[in-house]
Amino acid sequence: MSAQPNAGLTRRDLSRRDFLKVSVAGGVGLTVAVSLAGCDTQPAPTAGPLPSSTAVPTPLASPTAADTPSPTATPEPAAWEPNIYLTVDPAGMVTIRAFRSEMGQGIRTAIAMIVAEELDAAWEQVRIVQVGAAPAYGDQVTGGSVSVSSHYERLRQAGAMARDVLVSAAAHTWDVDKAACRTEGGEVIHPDGEQRLAYGALVDVAAGLPLPSPGDVQVKDPADFRVIGTPRGLYDAPDMVTGRPLYTSDLSLPGMVHAVVARCPVFEGQAAGVDDAAARAVPGVRDVVPISSGIAVVADSTWAALRGRAALDITWNEGRNADLSSEATRLLLADLAPQPGSAGAGSMDAVYEIPYLAHATMEPMVCLADVREGRCEVWAPSQAPQAAKQQAMSASRLDTGEVVVHVPVMGGGFGRRHVPDFVAEAVEVSRAVGAPVRLIWTREDDLQHDRYHPISCTYIKATLDASGLPSAMPRPQPFPMAVGVPTGYWRSVEQFDQAFARESFLDEIAAAGGLDPVELRLSLLTGRGRAVVELAAQKAGWGTALPEGWGRGIAYWPTFGATHVAQVVDLSVAGDGTLRARRVVCAVDCGTVINPDTVVAQMEGGIVFGLTAALKARITVDNGRVQQSNFHDYPLLTMAETPQIEVYLVDSTERPSGVGEMGVPPVAPAVANAVFAATGKRVRHIPILAADLA
Amino acid sequence: MALITLSVNSQEYSLDVEPETPLLWVLRDHLGLTGTRYSCGAGLCGACTVHVDGEAVRSCTWPVSEAAGRQVVTIEGLSPDGSHPVQQVWLAENVCQCGYCQPGQIMAAAALLARTPDPADDEIDAAMANNLCRCGTYPRIRRAIHRAAKGGGV
Repeated sequence: MSAQPNAGLTRRDLSRRDFLKVSVAGGVGLTVAVSLAGCDTQPAPTAGPLPSSTAVPTPLASPTAADTPSPTATPEPAAWEPNIYLTVDPAGMVTIRAFRSEMGQGIRTAIAMIVAEELDAAWEQVRIVQVGAAPAYGDQVTGGSVSVSSHYERLRQAGAMARDVLVSAAAHTWDVDKAACRTEGGEVIHPDGEQRLAYGALVDVAAGLPLPSPGDVQVKDPADFRVIGTPRGLYDAPDMVTGRPLYTSDLSLPGMVHAVVARCPVFEGQAAGVDDAAARAVPGVRDVVPISSGIAVVADSTWAALRGRAALDITWNEGRNADLSSEATRLLLADLAPQPGSAGAGSMDAVYEIPYLAHATMEPMVCLADVREGRCEVWAPSQAPQAAKQQAMSASRLDTGEVVVHVPVMGGGFGRRHVPDFVAEAVEVSRAVGAPVRLIWTREDDLQHDRYHPISCTYIKATLDASGLPSAMPRPQPFPMAVGVPTGYWRSVEQFDQAFARESFLDEIAAAGGLDPVELRLSLLTGRGRAVVELAAQKAGWGTALPEGWGRGIAYWPTFGATHVAQVVDLSVAGDGTLRARRVVCAVDCGTVINPDTVVAQMEGGIVFGLTAALKARITVDNGRVQQSNFHDYPLLTMAETPQIEVYLVDSTERPSGVGEMGVPPVAPAVANAVFAATGKRVRHIPILAADLA
Repeated sequence: MALITLSVNSQEYSLDVEPETPLLWVLRDHLGLTGTRYSCGAGLCGACTVHVDGEAVRSCTWPVSEAAGRQVVTIEGLSPDGSHPVQQVWLAENVCQCGYCQPGQIMAAAALLARTPDPADDEIDAAMANNLCRCGTYPRIRRAIHRAAKGGGV
């Protein structure tokens, strides 16, 4: 293993806010220092309106303007800051600021790769710091798989602009023609090809030079890329495999207490009465605090808080959702959508159903909040730092300048962490008890109070010509419903439902007309979509024989119209209906690839995520209550159930287009199509269980 | 409350805690060893996997009193510097996505390899079946375990 850039963090002059201590009980005498410098460098609090959801970051330049704060709370001494995305210090360390939330999709690494590419930095001298909610970076919502595509040019310009000034500084130092100098590995190379000046040695000179306008600097010809397009492990991986504190769950503050919340099992229900005597009698329980979402138990340890919560005797006013039933909602939706068979002669139609689905991030919701003395500081694993800040401001009743939001690396996101409900809870509790609070959700809390993927019914129809081909690509008509159940963004959102409907339906058309599913798709697709279908089919050996009881299915979906993914699933169905995915071949065209290893990983992960939905887990509601509570009844795909997965990337110089969600939508229809191929049974819902096939 | 003597990562601790407190919360809240992660609290996901006398156990359902007098090893004690072969192959295969479950995965894999130096796929599946990963890093975990069995090759 090469030297990790993280090592540079230990050299920082840590302030109180960078340096959190975990006190050890029992006088053992062990103190663990936790540096947040690597993930929580923060802007000075600022006044002024938050950007709108469509706002773009402020221009690259003018980092010293009064209204554009330095994003570093403790800037490097003499570090040169050519723009808001990076600094270079005299030792040559390049600090790149990640401003989108990391949840495993590799965005921190990707941002750094793009900047480092144009800067010609030495990767070993790159370190990444995370900025929290900071107006300078505009809307920081991490969703829609757009973090790279929406910032690609800007980040390239940021790196290129800094490089341009460093070259000017070297040319000035050597008194040579700037155009004759080159850069490589964090050094400027003299026209003689021999002399070199390290970037660190140039920052003093560079700091005195004018900054070019980002649009005036030349970015690289992609043919010259040395970093973009080469596989890199995630920057944070060394911390991940050693268990070093990285996530909000791991962070502590001196004097911190622990909290959990008892919430009404029925959505929107409220506590009507509480007997907390038994809870307060639990050793270690400090307080019981009513908050907006329920009753919080505050304790010296997580276990005491959990025991205290279990001892609460709460009378709930269950409210208007007390009779809520997901089955009733499903039947309502089926009535709302046009009835299948109503399309008329020469047409086909069908209806496909998706249940409520949970995110089930491995790190449940958690927030560390410290509300004291007119100041609120929050560590929130949020995909929407500005929304988290608004929640913190509202719950603490403090102004924007008094509230700071840090965004640690998250133990999974998948869209759940757009909603900062957990931030409001922690801030409310901290404000009430006057101490820092780490508030955690249990798995049961997480599965029963999620913002679920909405239940839906999707109608789709097609007019067929004499040969059985549709006149155009059929368009799904979704009927989602969220009656009483809180819903939200779930990895690939409505694309998931649309893909399941259209791609299942195409195979139904193919079966009715005696057409090959791949040939049918090729007749309807052009360009990049057609290419990934051809690639996936070829790599999967489409048309080759499978063992008895196996089936093969294909699906293609251009998620958000951006990234084209085709998948071929081979699966087996046993006599009792037991279904096992055996092999998934995935072809992806996401334009220019920043980190090929991340693209492959996101496709693998998207396939596993999609298989859990297609084959295993769903959320149901009865008597107003989510019926699932933990992984025994919301089962995730396991290693033993994971098929062989092969991912093929289309070589492309198109703009990069995102990969975080794009592996998910084709999985469920490819499974349903493979089930049909294996059994002749068309299943128009998920999860597809043994009972559907026996 | 009771005084419990615990050996964690070769260090002795005396703690005054409720005997039924899950080892997980003692490690995290009392000892500050936060690499052992909470995710389900019911022994269903393996994020909290540690070694007790060399066996992989779910610390979220293991009362601390039952760990007394035994050798507990957490991810922080697997190696002082991330140099354990399993940690090294995890980096070499770029296993991590969000990374939250990976200490538990690594502890389960290390216990498997200590017992079965060159496991077959079905032995890997059996040993790792209840270590869940929502990011879907399973194919890489399997590759990494095979790579470790063959000597790493980092």
